[in-house]
Amino acid sequence: MRSTRMSGRLSVVVAASLLLASCAPVRVNSYVGRDLDLHRYHTYAWAPPDAFSTGDPRLDNNTFFIERVQRAVDGHLRQKGFERIAEGPPDFVVHYHARVEQRLDSTQLRPGEPGCEAADCHPFVYDAGTLLIDFVDPRSNQLMWRGWAERGLEGVVDDQTWMDTTVDDAVRRIMERFPS
Amino acid sequence: MRVSSHVDREQDFTRYRTFDWGPADSLPAGDPRLERNVFFQDHVQGAIERHMAAKGYQRADATAVPDVRIHFHAVIDRRIDVNAVDSQSGYCSRSDCQAGVSEYEEGTLVIDVIDVRTNRLVWRGWAQDSVEGVLDNQDRLARKIEDAVRLMFVPLPATR
Repeated sequence: MRSTRMSGRLSVVVAASLLLASCAPVRVNSYVGRDLDLHRYHTYAWAPPDAFSTGDPRLDNNTFFIERVQRAVDGHLRQKGFERIAEGPPDFVVHYHARVEQRLDSTQLRPGEPGCEAADCHPFVYDAGTLLIDFVDPRSNQLMWRGWAERGLEGVVDDQTWMDTTVDDAVRRIMERFPS
Repeated sequence: MRVSSHVDREQDFTRYRTFDWGPADSLPAGDPRLERNVFFQDHVQGAIERHMAAKGYQRADATAVPDVRIHFHAVIDRRIDVNAVDSQSGYCSRSDCQAGVSEYEEGTLVIDVIDVRTNRLVWRGWAQDSVEGVLDNQDRLARKIEDAVRLMFVPLPATR
């Protein structure tokens, strides 16, 4: 993580994985930090985006993608009563990570076995996207909460509208797991 | 070749008249076979200049501040392809079908248009295609570049 002026920035890593479009369940999960007391946190700020690659050159330093993620998270946090601030030390810091990787679908590796009876069953590779959101307490530098979602991304990034709705959907599913 | 773009839908591109080349963002390093390849850089720049002109944009004078800056970035990734056997030999029945797994190198050319006044990305286009047999063949590389930039610039909003 880049060093910041604030010590122990909370970073919220937004993980959004996009599963295969054709039959892509979205896998979502989260981690709650020990002794998390949300009443102590009211204001937040965003940490700068990662300096390293997402694995997909179309998304690296892509302002449209970055701002869509932030806008979606901002909306959910606002609904939950948190306030984004531009100046002054925030109570917590939000950071997102996005990663795209090729995965092999292994469910269709064995013709004739359950799940692979059709004549056209064959293994295939797909782009799997993961979006991770972290909330970090800047005073203790401890991870308060992490949520992530993962799903297939075939064709999604090339279609701006589809990418936008996929980001919104992933963030919604992640934030649904945020404790209230 | 797969080509697409993202655009700032609220931006009025007719406000822009001139462009110039911008320094690279702090992006992850591109592939040296492309980024340090003078032939590649020259051909991409030439193609961009022609297609920007076709959309009505002019290159800014050396002393003037341009309305937009253009930056391009090229990466090469190793990709896995499964079913190479299927695509090459056509349909094969389940009993004798063998999934082939092969690796190939895929190049991605990304072109960014940045509003100089706001310093924000207003358009990003990209083209992705296999570069197998292309990097060492100047004719093929030149044609790939031309196809990539030509197709990529189709949806770029014109200024006139």
